[in-house]
Amino acid sequence: MSAVIPRRVFLKSSAAAGAALLLPFHLSGGARRGKFFEASDSHSFSPNAWLELSSDGGVKIWCGKSEMGQGVRTSLPMIIAEELSCDWRRVQVVQADLDPKYGDQLTGGSGSVRDSYENLRKAGAAAREALLSAAAAQWNVARSECHAKNGSILHAPTQRKLAFEQLLATASALQPPADPPLKKPADFTLIGTPQRRTDTKLKITGAAQFGIDTRIPGMLVAFVERSPVYGGTPRRFNADEVKSAPRVRAVLEVKSAHLTHQFGETSGPGSRNYSCAGVAVVADSTWAAMQARKLLKVEWNEPAGASESTASLREAMLRLASEPGAVIRSDGDFDKAHADAAKKIEAVYDVPFLAHATMEPVNCTAHVRGDSCELWAPTQIPGAAADSIASALGIPRDRVKVHVTFIGGGFGRRLIQDYAVEAALISRDAGARVQVVWSREDDMRHDFYRPAACHVLEAGLDAQGRLLSWRHRASSPSLDAFYSGTGISPQAAAQVESLDFPALFVPNFRLEFTVAESGMPLGYWRSVSASGNQFVLSSFFDEAAHAAGRDPLEFLLAAFGPARKIPVGNQQALDVGRRRAVMELAAEKSAWHKPLPAGQGRGIAAGFGWGSYVAQVAEVTCDAKSGAVRVDRVVCAVDCGTAVNPLGVKAQMEGAVNFGLAQALKSTITVSSGRVEQSNFHDYEVLRMSDAPPVIEVHIVPSTEPPGGCGEPGVPPAAPAIANAIFAATGKRIRHLPIRAADLRSA
Amino acid sequence: MAISFTLNGKSQSVDVSPDMPLLWVLRDTLNMTGTKFGCGMALCGACTVHINGEATRSCITAISSVAGKKVTTIEGLSADGSHPVQQAWMEEDVPQCGYCQSGQIMSAVALLSKKPNPSDTDIDDAMSGNICRCGTYQRIRKAIHRAASMQAGKA
Repeated sequence: MSAVIPRRVFLKSSAAAGAALLLPFHLSGGARRGKFFEASDSHSFSPNAWLELSSDGGVKIWCGKSEMGQGVRTSLPMIIAEELSCDWRRVQVVQADLDPKYGDQLTGGSGSVRDSYENLRKAGAAAREALLSAAAAQWNVARSECHAKNGSILHAPTQRKLAFEQLLATASALQPPADPPLKKPADFTLIGTPQRRTDTKLKITGAAQFGIDTRIPGMLVAFVERSPVYGGTPRRFNADEVKSAPRVRAVLEVKSAHLTHQFGETSGPGSRNYSCAGVAVVADSTWAAMQARKLLKVEWNEPAGASESTASLREAMLRLASEPGAVIRSDGDFDKAHADAAKKIEAVYDVPFLAHATMEPVNCTAHVRGDSCELWAPTQIPGAAADSIASALGIPRDRVKVHVTFIGGGFGRRLIQDYAVEAALISRDAGARVQVVWSREDDMRHDFYRPAACHVLEAGLDAQGRLLSWRHRASSPSLDAFYSGTGISPQAAAQVESLDFPALFVPNFRLEFTVAESGMPLGYWRSVSASGNQFVLSSFFDEAAHAAGRDPLEFLLAAFGPARKIPVGNQQALDVGRRRAVMELAAEKSAWHKPLPAGQGRGIAAGFGWGSYVAQVAEVTCDAKSGAVRVDRVVCAVDCGTAVNPLGVKAQMEGAVNFGLAQALKSTITVSSGRVEQSNFHDYEVLRMSDAPPVIEVHIVPSTEPPGGCGEPGVPPAAPAIANAIFAATGKRIRHLPIRAADLRSA
Repeated sequence: MAISFTLNGKSQSVDVSPDMPLLWVLRDTLNMTGTKFGCGMALCGACTVHINGEATRSCITAISSVAGKKVTTIEGLSADGSHPVQQAWMEEDVPQCGYCQSGQIMSAVALLSKKPNPSDTDIDDAMSGNICRCGTYQRIRKAIHRAASMQAGKA
């Protein structure tokens, strides 16, 4: 058997990984000339793990995060290239495989840019400083007289210039500074400029290699029939019959395996963070495996969750959210103030389970040999894949090599490494290189779902129409308990945030939560709990505005009060000025106060999270007869601090709005007898071209604040902006997602 | 039994089960992975190719039905990404994750061959079978209009 990656390379890489000595950039002392800066060719300069300059003028920059559409293979290299001061057009971006020298490779939480920003700037700056020193030495001039620009070092007094590629040998012999000076934002020439993505050509020619495109010699393909109820196990299956089907190599039981949590090992008793048990059909080709799987008959041992249904869970959540729960936040005295309120409103809201439904079906390719595993994985967190596989296979962690592929959509699905462990187990048991492919039906039925939730809210207004009291009781299955176990505190299990607006802005405020039991597997879905919570909060706030007879925008701005910073603990502050500014910008750009014809309406919603502030105004047209809603326009204002690549920020906001509209208008996962009822895109609907608004405008607030996240914060405001616009158009209040035509038809 | 067809302008013969969908012939037998698997039921459009110039979902198209026909995949659109639709996609910076984009582009090319100057309604009608979960729809619309004017300029 010939290895795909030569064994010596694998061993060498493993040894380096095992030693774990390499820092994100090699700035520590004790470097020895030549040895320390060993590069892939002798005419190159690679002062740290992130970049390599070569004698042909090329610049390679490694991307340490996973590219799943959010543009990290463009934005992260831009940060390095800015400080390096190279020619951006000469940059070639290389995907980093799992390696400690790239630091934390978790791609999630809208954190890639904001968490890497300083570090990547230093990596680029350290190289630039070494090149400056090299040029100064070569010219024998003062270093302070030299500056770097567009791939060259210049000496202004003598008008001399040396290209980076002329300085490689000299620079390689120098120790780059440990704490290099960073550019002033005013001197940026790349950060803040709109740049097209570096990976587009690969993606328009079919050349981009996603996980599912992995093709290695001798690779077999497996499909897995998984327990229809999460936590079930196969009792009996017709292995012999299926094995005799054409081109089938093996029919194997796949045991459930414990998974390492994305944020490290946090599991306690009761944690349900494991892969789904099933039966694998392994064949020569995808089609052969798909066909043979149809012959498979499995009897299952079903777990207790097999009686769950959407209706039974909804009923339980409504009951729990109607009773006192664990207190998450309490300001003032809700009961007393509410009793005195001049006007009171109350409402019940609920949101369903949701699937990620990434366009690239879940898949992974593994090759297990002895105590090693090589993996080709579309994963948001290669480290957890390695941890989980090492644990499931009982092999050393440094013997798991992970190649990170392009990801055909993540949205949080690929933070959970069930599919990677599955591939490794099947490869081991089949004794072959195996690609596990999930059908769309597998993906819909065996996802880790955004939890369903039910919310009961009451609010009171004083005689002047100001918000006096607000009580929010919520109940849902708990993501945190799913991953960490049942031993966590009620507060830790809560799926509501103590700082979510209108917390801090209502004098008598009470937030309570009760966990609802569910057998469903739960996961992080783009913007996590905020995806549902902000629909509830921004909608009910809009109800309060209308109850007060006030314009919703004016009511919001009045509640926030003047621009100021409110400390929220942990040395963080909520910047009310920035929150106001995005709302005012969205209102201005949408001509908020300009009247619309009958049947049309505007709604506003705004949020803060992941370090960014977003406000959206949606315009809708509603047809009273059919109940149809058309979203005509969404205006999105975002303050994400420094926008490294404004073109990428715009793309993320546009995508987030569309993702939020799918939640508002289309998608739901329902459960019957513990089984997911949907199976493919005909019954789990998502946004299509004909549903997509003609216009999504994105306005970025200019800022030199540190970068905020952009993948998630655009999602939560979209659904409530639509729902509030529908109310403005029709007077009908949406309290349930997705929005149904029947909710909007005139009686 | 060998089945012969024209693939991206060259004659191609494969010896596979006649019911094997064209998608898996492309991806598994011929290692041409530019055409994507998304749903297996012609619901998402990721597997779109052209058969005799018509946008067709290759995931439900048995290879036996392709015999003697002309198949074009994303790899056959141009050697270097220079097709006007691909160029328009570059200009508008359309793809995010990119997984659906082979199918989107193939559907767009087929649309433009029938309607060189499509309206937004034409685009909705022709493109609503192609799902993009990243939400690049507005950019796809712009890119199709751009490609239309690029092609008009050439004519």
